[in-house]
Amino acid sequence: MIHVLIFLPLLFGVWALVAPQQARPVGLLGSLLTLIVGLLTFGAFLGGNDFAYHVPLLGEAGIYYAVAWDGVGAVLMLAVVTATFIALLAAHDVPPAMVGLALLMETGLLGLLAAQDLILFYVFFEATLIPSLLMLGLYGGAGRVRALVKFAIFTLVGSLLMLAGILAARYLGGAPSFLLSDLTAHKLGGAAGVWAFSAFLIAFMVKTPLFPLHVWLPDFHAENHPSGLADVMGTLYKVGLFGLFRWALPLFPSAFALFQPWLLALAAFTAIWAAWIAYAQTDWKRLLAYGALSHMGIGALGIFSGTVAGGVGAIFLLAASAVYTGALFLFAGGLQRRFGTLELRPTSGLAKSAPGLAALGLILVLAMVGLPGLSGFPGEFMNLLGAWQASPIWTFVGFLAVIAAAAYALTAYQNLFHNAPDKPASDLSSVEWWWGSLAVLVILFMGVYPKLFTEVLVPSAQALVGLLGGGK
Amino acid sequence: MLLLLIILLPLLGFAYLGLFGKGLREPLPGIIASTLTGISFLLVVAALFAGGGSWEIKDWLPGIPFSLVLDHLSGYMGLVVTGVGFLIHVYAIGYMHGDEGFSRFFAYLNFFIAMMMTLVLAGSYPVMFIGWEGVGLASFLLIGFWYTEKKNADSARKAFITNRIGDLGFLLGMALLYSSFGTLSISGLREALESSTVLPLSLGLAGFLLFVGAVGKSAQVPLMVWLPDAMAGPTPVSALIHAATMVTAGVYLIARSSFLYANLQDVSYFIALIGITTAAYGALSALGQWDIKKIIAYSTISQLGYMFLAVGVGAYWIALFHVMTHAFYKALLFLASGSVIHALGGEQDVRKMGGLKKYLPRTHLHGLAGALSLAGFPLLAGFWSKDAIITATLNYPFGGIGLYVAGLTVAFLTAIYAMRWYVLVFLGEYKGDAHPHESPSVMTIPNDVLALGAVFAGFLALPKPFWNLIEPFLAPVLAHVEVHEMSLGMEWGLITLSAVVALTGLYLGYLAFTRWALPKWYLTFQTWSENAFYIDLVYNVLIVNPLKELSEIWALLDGLLDSGYLALAGLSGWLGEKLAWLQAGYVRVYGALMVLGLVVMLVWGVLR
Repeated sequence: MIHVLIFLPLLFGVWALVAPQQARPVGLLGSLLTLIVGLLTFGAFLGGNDFAYHVPLLGEAGIYYAVAWDGVGAVLMLAVVTATFIALLAAHDVPPAMVGLALLMETGLLGLLAAQDLILFYVFFEATLIPSLLMLGLYGGAGRVRALVKFAIFTLVGSLLMLAGILAARYLGGAPSFLLSDLTAHKLGGAAGVWAFSAFLIAFMVKTPLFPLHVWLPDFHAENHPSGLADVMGTLYKVGLFGLFRWALPLFPSAFALFQPWLLALAAFTAIWAAWIAYAQTDWKRLLAYGALSHMGIGALGIFSGTVAGGVGAIFLLAASAVYTGALFLFAGGLQRRFGTLELRPTSGLAKSAPGLAALGLILVLAMVGLPGLSGFPGEFMNLLGAWQASPIWTFVGFLAVIAAAAYALTAYQNLFHNAPDKPASDLSSVEWWWGSLAVLVILFMGVYPKLFTEVLVPSAQALVGLLGGGK
Repeated sequence: MLLLLIILLPLLGFAYLGLFGKGLREPLPGIIASTLTGISFLLVVAALFAGGGSWEIKDWLPGIPFSLVLDHLSGYMGLVVTGVGFLIHVYAIGYMHGDEGFSRFFAYLNFFIAMMMTLVLAGSYPVMFIGWEGVGLASFLLIGFWYTEKKNADSARKAFITNRIGDLGFLLGMALLYSSFGTLSISGLREALESSTVLPLSLGLAGFLLFVGAVGKSAQVPLMVWLPDAMAGPTPVSALIHAATMVTAGVYLIARSSFLYANLQDVSYFIALIGITTAAYGALSALGQWDIKKIIAYSTISQLGYMFLAVGVGAYWIALFHVMTHAFYKALLFLASGSVIHALGGEQDVRKMGGLKKYLPRTHLHGLAGALSLAGFPLLAGFWSKDAIITATLNYPFGGIGLYVAGLTVAFLTAIYAMRWYVLVFLGEYKGDAHPHESPSVMTIPNDVLALGAVFAGFLALPKPFWNLIEPFLAPVLAHVEVHEMSLGMEWGLITLSAVVALTGLYLGYLAFTRWALPKWYLTFQTWSENAFYIDLVYNVLIVNPLKELSEIWALLDGLLDSGYLALAGLSGWLGEKLAWLQAGYVRVYGALMVLGLVVMLVWGVLR
């Protein structure tokens, strides 16, 4: 079933690309089936089935097609299949090819989450880039070329360095293959380990992103297709925290220990810096980009704390933010449809004419603010508990973002929905009702019953902390 | 499961009214919401009679259960919340009559009750934090209920953000406790603390951080600025959330954590200092206000200060006693003000009132009962609880004579501004141009009940040798502190002194605002007081505006970073172009370069 899950979107993606006039039904069907298979998989995973599968691709070179679900992969897999379905449901007016490209990305994302072989991971990781670039390049806004070049260069420089790091990790470390289990059994230490770790780190910092390698992100979102579909997929593609969790930290624990204080500082700085800047934005997508960046800083604090709580929190936050940040991008898409602009205040007092939209917007914004009871909170809270154990000071600095988040998110929300009513607009359309309710249900469920996810994340996080040397 | 129902019922009401309320005709949403809150009240009563209870989901978050506990403390607080909450729900059916957001209002009100009960019933700090931020959201929604006015929307946001500053303290406090003890369950921490080897310093810090949370939620100095603005919400909201219940959550948090604070002398003393400072600040600011609700809002700040004074000195049960009496008389004062505002068609300026005793006889009695109780008129509820606090500064462990004197002085001021409020609204001649009319009975009956409480609730806990029902009721859940025994003569002497101070204040206030021409120095003070000593202005200039400006500057810097990368990219392109001529393709050029290189290396080697 694991292969079905990974490659089902690919199948439908190709179908959507060759039959563009049927792209919407094909996209919906494909992502829905994937969602269903994903849910079944998660259910089976809870029952103890990890779907591990393993066959040599290039046996001589030690490259395997090795896939399996662990807690981290399974939780993020759920985020991917859910967010993709919601996005394809919401983005009903996108160019047909975008639907296909989104499905291709979904396969790439599921593959990189399941991969247990470093080369396989790398292949999925890079393959996902292509549809993402195509979406931006073909359907982006006026400044798309600039945004594209920036995105491509940052990503590619990062991945090429990582490729060097991958080779170093195996050959200098003496592992018999690129399998995760072999690599962690032959960890590369010393100076070579530091260099290789740095290479991984740069690649994943670009993809988290973390300051100062984040500059591609605001342009990427601001220039992508206004519907929000590309932004959702792009948000899912920000797998830096996952990469650190699954690969970079387990492979190079000693180098990580060396860097840890600096990384914690960098993560905290990213969190507060981005949240503060978000306040000054005048465009929904840039605001969301900086808000999401700030959350990734919080998540990075958790990962870099090297604690179980922090690891659980980071991955939970990553999964949760994929859904609520994604939904916010789709919400911004709805504003674009209504007002023809993404500026923060196309009108005011909108709650009067569109109360349903106001309610949806409020829930999404509050999830982003990290209100307890919604999906933003459990991850943030676990990160807090973990990060504090590693560094109270940087935790304090990073979590100042909690205050800033209330400021930027509520200001933006109120400027649009409150104050004296200006231009009215239509309330929720039926499509918006559907995807909105779905997103809200997911957000509520993750917020009210995080146990379902944290329970499977704990063993993964414990394994990570074990590899890091027992944790602190 | 019963406990869960206490929360779920109002939550259900919120969901139902939020989704389908639009289709319901007035007053149905109000009746639904009030009934659900009433049932919650009955459930709390039932649970108390059943001896309490608890409910939990294990490992809701790793190592953190989702636990609810109904013991004497949460039961007591729950009674206040759902009881006063029910009365205010009923009152609001009349007050919100004809508002187009009628059902939305009751949806929010029910949401508030659900979150407040989550806060109260929480058996662990993270669960309390859910309620804590939940009531903050309810407060945000209700302050900004009439959101089409920018002032209301801004006040709502200000409240939420200021509260978040405190919430960060709460969060960090939890992180510190978790890293020290590995649990955040309140009973677990209580046990762990008894056999603790944790450094006192770190415990003190944890206590301080939790207190920061309380400072935000309960509008203590220096985070008090949001509460006066919160009066932008409909008056029942001011009564319920910003007087009777939510703002006392900070006091509840400290009382819940008394096992921690009873061991923290310095932090406790600091809390008492913040409390008395707030009490003085609130009273001094209340004196100069002209808005009928703002006088009471500053009074609330002041009274909350008294409660923190009480928990600071270690008199936890007395603080909770004051929470209860204050809930009665302050809700009453707000609702009476609401009736006045209602009667005058929205007028809030006391300079355009006066003489309403004649037009609103019943509301006048409510206002009088509330004001006298607040002022500490002998034998009324506010007298007993406030006097207990002032006396406690002398015989509880973290008190002192300085706190006593300050407490008594603020009591004097309290009597003056309470009388001022009463005089300006009800006595003299009517100075406005509306046609005042008494409120319907759906509004006056709840006030009757509250007035009974404001007058008689103090008799639940009288000084020795009389009965005290509250202290023994709460004793098992609060930390035990060593109280210095006072002789009966001493105690009753102090009580008499308090009574004299209150009566003098009332009398002087009456004279000052009916008979006297106020002196010049007072008018200067009046201006300062009216502007609440310009704290808002100072915050805006020193903190808020710089933060906003900095965000623009950081955004520019972030753009510069972007340009930096661009320059780097440009540089490599430029370098490539400039070096391209080296790749000329002629063997003679490569040969010449080789020779040149060789020469340079040789020369360098010789000279070295």
